[in-house]
Amino acid sequence: MLFCVSVNAQNDSIAKAKKDSIKHIQKYGLRVGGDLSKLIRTAFEDDYKGFEIMADFRLSKRLYLAGELGTEEKTLGNDYLNATASGSYFKAGVDYNSYTNWFGMHNMIYGGLRVGASTFSQTRNSFSVYEQNQYWEPHFSSTDAEKFSGLTALWAELIIGIKAEILPNLFIGINAQLKSIFSQDQPDNFENLYVPGYNRTYDGSNFGVGYSYNISYLIPLFKKG
Amino acid sequence: MKNLKFIILTVIIAFVAFLSCERDDICSDDTSTTSRLFIQFYNSANTENVKNAFKLRIQGVGNEEVLSDYNIVTANSIYLPLKTTETSTQFVLHKDYVLNDDGTTEGNADTITINYATELEYVSKACGYKTVFENVTISVEDDGDKWIDYILSATDNEPISNEDEAHFNLYH
Repeated sequence: MLFCVSVNAQNDSIAKAKKDSIKHIQKYGLRVGGDLSKLIRTAFEDDYKGFEIMADFRLSKRLYLAGELGTEEKTLGNDYLNATASGSYFKAGVDYNSYTNWFGMHNMIYGGLRVGASTFSQTRNSFSVYEQNQYWEPHFSSTDAEKFSGLTALWAELIIGIKAEILPNLFIGINAQLKSIFSQDQPDNFENLYVPGYNRTYDGSNFGVGYSYNISYLIPLFKKG
Repeated sequence: MKNLKFIILTVIIAFVAFLSCERDDICSDDTSTTSRLFIQFYNSANTENVKNAFKLRIQGVGNEEVLSDYNIVTANSIYLPLKTTETSTQFVLHKDYVLNDDGTTEGNADTITINYATELEYVSKACGYKTVFENVTISVEDDGDKWIDYILSATDNEPISNEDEAHFNLYH
């Protein structure tokens, strides 16, 4: 805090010699990037494939227009059920930067809002009948895959994250996402276990969670005070 | 910048903690999964009255094990698990069962055959699917010395998807 004040004082003294002392000239532009965690998971997890690109555009000092576009394929299962969800999604909304940068810095500690939409298919790979009683073994099971196509889902998302400029115009970021689904097509006599972009669904809950480790590059378009 | 690094660290720790305690989906015992066939025993001389069968021993035909809850017991109702892989299950209901030292048995054994159609119904992520039994009929094999007089549906032949009420009444 003390350090901060002293820096501001320095700025004032330099700026007096030039023009405006309060306005900092800041970079505006389009920042594009991708989700590293999805690439890493694709490489190391057998049951996951994912890819996401993201972009944001600075509207004002603190407000950014932001969105993500991606595809995911995920196989989930337990002893009784195994299913693969596959599809693509996009999310659009705004980010609000709550972090006050020092002169020349462009870091963000932000909160965001998104509306997400996904079109996907759900394939039931295998299942077996659940029965607590084990007198007759084995129980009925099936490995005939059944695919439910043309499913859609719509959700809202709250994001908390940070973006730090590690090299000029190059940012790394991390964020956590809390989601609430408000509309989805359920397959007949089955259920969406996973929705691309939304992540997995939970029994008796409309909430989901997600995260992202991302890297992005700012294409500076203009400067503004 | 020190402040920012601290926040990065906190967030990373929070993520790791969160990922390591992802909720397990465990099928609870309270969930209605594949039901057993619930049969209530009545007195055929006085059909209003529940009647016990003594020293009852039940074993599935084709299964080497005795049905665990019914190994020489006194019972006026029974729960029979049905095969989910087939559309017919047979049980031997052995009344007044006594196993002699020389390996012979006493009592009266009746074989019942349960025929049905199976339908699969999705329950939940943790429990997967359950089997619902439809068009269930029960016949008693006539061995000339039946202790079971007749078995009637108690539900107007509704599909069997829970164990709340008796599905069939057995009169003896």
